Amino acid sequence: MPLFEGLGSGGEKTAVVIDLGAAYTKCGFAGETGPRFIIPSEIKHAGSPEAVRVVQYNINTEELYSILKEFVHLLYFRHLLVNPRDRRVVIVESILCPSHFRETLSRVFFKHFEVPSVLFAPSHLMSVMTLGIQSALVMDCGYTETLIYEGIPILSAWEALPMGGKAIHKELHSLLSEQCTLDTDSGPGLSLPTVISAIPEDVVEDIKVRTCFVSDLQRGMKIQEAKFNLDGSAERPAPPPDVEYPLDGRKILHIKGSISFPSIHFVCSVFVPRQCPIDTRKVLSENLVIIGGTSMLPGFLHRLLSEIRSLVEKPKYRDALATKSFRIHSPPAKPNCTAWLGGAIFGALQDILGSRSVSRDYYNQTGRIPDWCCLSTPLPDSVYEAGKTPPPLMKRAFSTEK
Amino acid sequence: MATLLQPEKVLYLVRGEKKIRVPLSQLYFCRYCSELRSLECVSHEVDSHFCPSCLENMPSAEAKLKKNRCANCFDCPCCMHTLSTRATNIPAPLPDDPTKTTMKKAYYLACGFCRWTSRDVGMADKSVASGGWQEPENPHTQRINKLIEYYQQLAQREKLERDRKKLARRRPFMPQAFSEKYGLGTRLQRQRSGAPISALYGLSLKEGEDQKEITIEPAQALDEVEPLPEDYYTRPVNLPEVTTLRQRLLQPDFQPAGASQLHPRHKHLLMKRSLRCRKCEHNLSKPEFNPTSIKFKIQLVAVQTLFTLSGLTITVLQCVLALCCVLVPSKELVLSGKDAAAEYDELAEPQGFQDDPDVVAFRKSNKIGFFIKVVPQREEGDVTVAFKLRHDFRNLAAPIRPTEEGEATSEAIWLTHHVELSLGPLAT
Repeated sequence: MPLFEGLGSGGEKTAVVIDLGAAYTKCGFAGETGPRFIIPSEIKHAGSPEAVRVVQYNINTEELYSILKEFVHLLYFRHLLVNPRDRRVVIVESILCPSHFRETLSRVFFKHFEVPSVLFAPSHLMSVMTLGIQSALVMDCGYTETLIYEGIPILSAWEALPMGGKAIHKELHSLLSEQCTLDTDSGPGLSLPTVISAIPEDVVEDIKVRTCFVSDLQRGMKIQEAKFNLDGSAERPAPPPDVEYPLDGRKILHIKGSISFPSIHFVCSVFVPRQCPIDTRKVLSENLVIIGGTSMLPGFLHRLLSEIRSLVEKPKYRDALATKSFRIHSPPAKPNCTAWLGGAIFGALQDILGSRSVSRDYYNQTGRIPDWCCLSTPLPDSVYEAGKTPPPLMKRAFSTEK
Repeated sequence: MATLLQPEKVLYLVRGEKKIRVPLSQLYFCRYCSELRSLECVSHEVDSHFCPSCLENMPSAEAKLKKNRCANCFDCPCCMHTLSTRATNIPAPLPDDPTKTTMKKAYYLACGFCRWTSRDVGMADKSVASGGWQEPENPHTQRINKLIEYYQQLAQREKLERDRKKLARRRPFMPQAFSEKYGLGTRLQRQRSGAPISALYGLSLKEGEDQKEITIEPAQALDEVEPLPEDYYTRPVNLPEVTTLRQRLLQPDFQPAGASQLHPRHKHLLMKRSLRCRKCEHNLSKPEFNPTSIKFKIQLVAVQTLFTLSGLTITVLQCVLALCCVLVPSKELVLSGKDAAAEYDELAEPQGFQDDPDVVAFRKSNKIGFFIKVVPQREEGDVTVAFKLRHDFRNLAAPIRPTEEGEATSEAIWLTHHVELSLGPLAT
């Protein structure tokens, strides 16, 4: 039972598993069925009302170092309540994470917190681990981007779209500003920009989570036509009823029901696995995995499947993809925790976690962590074995298959 | 000195990994290294766990078992306040005589802030005040455990192979493929009789092993996903019924969308931290075990061991354009040690120090005031004075080694600190 593993049954202590996302961070221990905490990836300082985002790629190293240090400190001493020095760390991260972010993060862990070892695990591979299958097409709809990726990592075949939760927020915010009215003490029916300059981000997020949904394909198509149809002949389906959303207690925001946006269509158009080798396409299209918080919007999966199926009929994709069957997996966790769960499963494998992680001694000797895009790192010896098929568990894939 | 209202007037420079300037009240002094330490250059450790509402200490083994949550206290799933147990009387039939009814006590959880009760989510009232409430279990637990076992088996194989390869490498005269096939492999086989060697190619479970083999079914993908219910388009949204994102994320396993499925969770513990110097590994601060006590077992804060600079009366001379220059007294100033009893002694005798009235303003027990002339060299702006303060420090609390003379003396070390005072803006 995983529950009793940590009680000195001869093994080392359970590893800490952290999934640092752009919007939310999932943290917990290896071998457990879910993260202990899902907290927003930001730090609140006493002076300023705005919180500082932790995952930023454009700030300079010193500032990033101090922000990450503070955030990891909070993670360890407020949420996980363990000593950093005792436990190995598994960080589930996206492949697209810039090297300097990864290096700053490992410097925070090794130099400041003195953890014994760190393992960077690709989030898509980890999500496939939760299913027990060998390969899959993983789509991660997160906050900043949507990334599509293969298991048994074929690194040349990924696509990313800068369309995630953040884009939805922006679109929603602009639509709200244009179309909604506000009731305040001074009078009903005021338009939004006159009262408050901008709706804060967490309010927009709340509105999105609680009131928005993804409508199905036919309805979506009709709305699309109605939008672009200038002579007004196409009909919009009747919009869902309005919502009264209380802002700050005094103000009530009337949200019109007719807000909708066509971003789902864009997401689906890149979905078709054109870039993979032909023999894998059938297998991949039958093993779709969707992770990421944005995919938890009600109706998302159904709409995604129907869009894919309708797109495959179009001539552009019909030749590329011979198969017509698409199947979606449901991993044993919520989509926003799936990658974390994979990291937790991997972190529970104490036999090999040590050999696959970057240890503190190695880091102190070389001063950096191995990266998949960096060729100067010496390969581990196991790669030199001729004729050996790599096992499905890999730290970084140096796949020679194309 | 850092007070509540003037936080950062006097800053000390700490040389850790980076140079940072911190008021003395936030610094520690390691008396083994004889250096100032800030919070950045000490290592933090978790000392003890306790529940913030019932203030009960929890030993770390139990905390690990209970996933750092208190056994008795609950959090309201709506507003995160602590739940209180309330009792009501309900009529219940007597066990002996079904016709008669007596009043029995039934307990339920209620929130004093947002008026949420456990009856709102359908949790039945319990007959015991504490210990009856259970958190719901994750439905995927079994599948995840099976997956972990399966992968652990694969991991064991990989480890075996790795070890075998290490042994094989120690015989460089044999080509590698050869030894794996014949030399070492057979030896190992002889040692572990009954355990056939698994094939080297691939870690799949196709070869039969007599040991307990764990297979799992790979997950089945679904063709159809359930569509959005039709009434989403027509039903008005009842906002109080829909959970906010924050409420959902408090229960990561379930993340319910409806407020009627929000179950309370046990309260998360807090911890007390102990601080340790990174260089000499001695404890700088160790709190007491008891959660209600604010004292420390070890407390090497800089304010107690070093002295503080505070309060200023300055005479400003002239304005010249350049950096600010400071004229400090050239002689050493003598200060008597801290005597705790003398604080209460109002009629303190003069202690016989001969003070130059130009340098020393006043002297009282272990406090001294002296003049510094500051010449600001810019016409406006804030004046910041930086100087080095050198003083001797006697480590009275160091372990007394019995010397041959039988005397317990400790040497005085001279310490130098770089201090910055911000004197405020110039009056125009």
